[in-house]
Amino acid sequence: MTTRRGFIASLLAASATPTIGWADVGNPSYIAAARIPDGTFALFGIAGDGSTRFQVPLPARGHAGAGHPHRAEAVAFARRPGSFALVIDCFTGQVLHELTPPEGRQFNGHGVFIDDGAVLVTSEQASSDSQGIIGVWDVAAGYKRMHEMPTFGIGPHDMHLMPDGQTLVIANGGIATDPSDRTKLNIPTMRPNLTYLALDGSIRDKLELEPDLSKNSIRHLALRADGRVGFAMQWQGENDMAMPLLGLHRMGEAPVLASAPLADELVMQGYAGSVAFSGANQSEIAITSPRGGRIHRFDEKGTFLGAVSRTDVCGLAPLTGGFLASDGLGGLIAVTDGKPHALARENCAWDNHIVTL
Amino acid sequence: MKTPFATLAFCALALPAFADVNEVLDQHILPYFDGFTVATDTLAAQASETCDPALLKPAYTDAFNAWMAIGDLRIGPSESGALSIYFWPDKRGFTPRTLTRLIDEKDPVVQDATAYSEVSIAARGFFALEQMLYDPAFSDYRADSYNCALTTAIAADLAAQAKTLANAWAKEFAVTIRTAGQPDNGTYLSEDEALRAVYTQILSSLEFTSVQRLGQPLGTFDRPRPARAEARRSERSLKNVLLASESAYAMAGHLADWDVPHTDAAMSRLRDAATRIEDPAFQDIADPSARFRLEALQIAVQDLKTAIEGEIGGHLGIGAGFNSQDGD
Repeated sequence: MTTRRGFIASLLAASATPTIGWADVGNPSYIAAARIPDGTFALFGIAGDGSTRFQVPLPARGHAGAGHPHRAEAVAFARRPGSFALVIDCFTGQVLHELTPPEGRQFNGHGVFIDDGAVLVTSEQASSDSQGIIGVWDVAAGYKRMHEMPTFGIGPHDMHLMPDGQTLVIANGGIATDPSDRTKLNIPTMRPNLTYLALDGSIRDKLELEPDLSKNSIRHLALRADGRVGFAMQWQGENDMAMPLLGLHRMGEAPVLASAPLADELVMQGYAGSVAFSGANQSEIAITSPRGGRIHRFDEKGTFLGAVSRTDVCGLAPLTGGFLASDGLGGLIAVTDGKPHALARENCAWDNHIVTL
Repeated sequence: MKTPFATLAFCALALPAFADVNEVLDQHILPYFDGFTVATDTLAAQASETCDPALLKPAYTDAFNAWMAIGDLRIGPSESGALSIYFWPDKRGFTPRTLTRLIDEKDPVVQDATAYSEVSIAARGFFALEQMLYDPAFSDYRADSYNCALTTAIAADLAAQAKTLANAWAKEFAVTIRTAGQPDNGTYLSEDEALRAVYTQILSSLEFTSVQRLGQPLGTFDRPRPARAEARRSERSLKNVLLASESAYAMAGHLADWDVPHTDAAMSRLRDAATRIEDPAFQDIADPSARFRLEALQIAVQDLKTAIEGEIGGHLGIGAGFNSQDGD
C-alpha cells in the first residue's frame, strides 16, 4: 500500500529526474543564432513578444537549428560546409554532444527531430560530389549515427517533417560545391528539386521546375498544417532577371510560382533567404531578402500582397497574427497586417534563420 | 518622467552624427527631388505641345540630368518607385518589346495619363522615352501618329511619377528618417540605422556605376558589349557615370563634417579619367586603347568607393551587412 510519505517521495524523485523542459528555460517560442558584440556567436531563445529567454555560447557562426519537441535541448548547425553540430542544453548552456559527420560527409546547415524526438535527421552532402544525404541519429543513444539515406538530389539544404509525421520534405538546392569552401561548381547544369521521402528513405514525390528555372536553387521550406509546402529560391543565373523566388506545392500536384510585380521583384535581387506561413488559418506566406532588405507577402494562391522594407532582414517565422522577422542589425520585427512594428532591438546580428519550437 | 534637461542632454549627445543625415536630406535629396519635378514638368508641358523628337531632346536631357542627382537612391519610396522611372539594365529587352506591343495594338492607354501608370514599368520612364526620341525604329513618326501620342503619354507619366516620388520623400520618408529610433518607427529602430541606410546608398550607387554602368558595356576583353551601354542612344553613358559619381561624392560630403582628403583626391582622379573618354556612349570599346581608358574610369569609381568606405564608413563604424553579404 502506498503511504502518503512514499507517494510524495516518489513524486519528488520523478521531478528530480534531469529532464529540463522548455518551460524551465522561460518557454521560448523560437531559437535563433546571432553574432554578439564581442565577435563571438550565441544561440538565443526568443519568446513571442521578442524578449530573449536564454543565451548560450556557440563556438562558431551558426546557421539554423532544431529544437527537441520536449526537452530544452537544441541542435545548432554550423553554416555550411559544416563540420559540426552541437546539441546544447538550453538550461545550463552546456554542450551535451558534439556531432561530427562521418568521413566524406558535411553538414548543410539544417536538420529536424522526427519520431517525437527519438531521432534527429540532418541535411548533408558527400564532400566529393555534393550528392545529398540524410544522416539519421539515435537521440536516446546519445546522438549515435545510425545510418544514412540519399536525398535524390545535389546539395540539399532545408528539410522538414511533414504534418503526417511520416514524410520528410527536402530542398535539394542543386548546387555542387567545392569540398573545402562554398565555390559553386555546376551552375550551368544544376537541376534543383523538391523531394518527399518516407522515413524508410523511399521516394514519395519529386518536383522539378521547368528547365528555364533550373538555375533557381530551391533552398528553404515552410510547412502548413494541411501539407502545403512553401519553397523559397535563390536565382543563380544572370542578375536582374526578376525570376519568381517563391513556390507553393502539395505532394502529387503541380506547383504554383509566386511573383511580385516587376519593380518589387527586382528589388529582391533574385534572393530569398527564409520563408514562413502565417496569418489567419496560415493563409499568408512570406519570404525575406537580406540583399534587397525586403519582406514580400503573398496569399495562399501566390498573389502578391505587399512588401515591408527592413535592412539586412533574413530570419522569418510565424507569429500570432503575422510574422516575426530578424535582421543583421539586431531587430526583431513583428509584421502584422503588412505593417512592421519593432518588438526588440538586441545588441547582436541575427543569423539567417529563426527556428520555431 | 524625463526632465527637460535630461531630454536636452540626450539630444545633444545623439546629435552630431544625426545632424549629418538631416544635411543629406536638406542639402541634397529633397532640393534635388524638387529640381527633378520641375524639369519633368517642363518636359511634359513641351510634350503636350509637340512630340517632335528634335524639339523635346533638350528638355529630356535636362530632366535626365536632374534625375541623376537622386536617381540611384533605393530606399523608402525610391526602393521600387525608382524602377518605373529608370528601368535599366533591361537585359531581357522588355522596353522595346513592350513599346512595340503598344504600338502594334494601338493600345488606347496612351489617351489617359493616369491609365498609363498601369502599363509595364519597362514602357515607362527615361528609357522608354529615350527609344521614342532617339531610336530610329521608334522616333521616325508624324504628329498625328500613335507614336506621337505615346511619347506625350510617357512624358506626362514621368512628370506625374516625379511629383509622387518627390512628395513621398518630402512628406513621408524624410519624416521616417528624421524620427529614427522613436517608438512608432518600424523602419529605423535607431538613428544609427537611418545613418547606415543613407550611407549605404552612397556606396551602392558607386557600386552600380562600376558594375553596371561601366561593367555592362565592358563585358569581357574578348567580348565587349557596347550595345549594353546605359543611355547609349542619347549618348549620355559617360555623363551618367560622372553625374552619379558627383552625386555620391556630394552626399558623402554632407554626411561627413570632417576632412576627407582621400575622397576628394579620388573624385578629382575620377573627373580626370572621365575627360579622357572619347566616345560619350562607349561605342568604341572594341578598340583596346578605348577599353583601357574605360577600365581606368571604372577603377577610379571603385577607388572613390574605397576612399568613402575608409574615411566615412570607418569613422562611423559601419561595415557590410551581416546576412546580405553572406547568403545561404
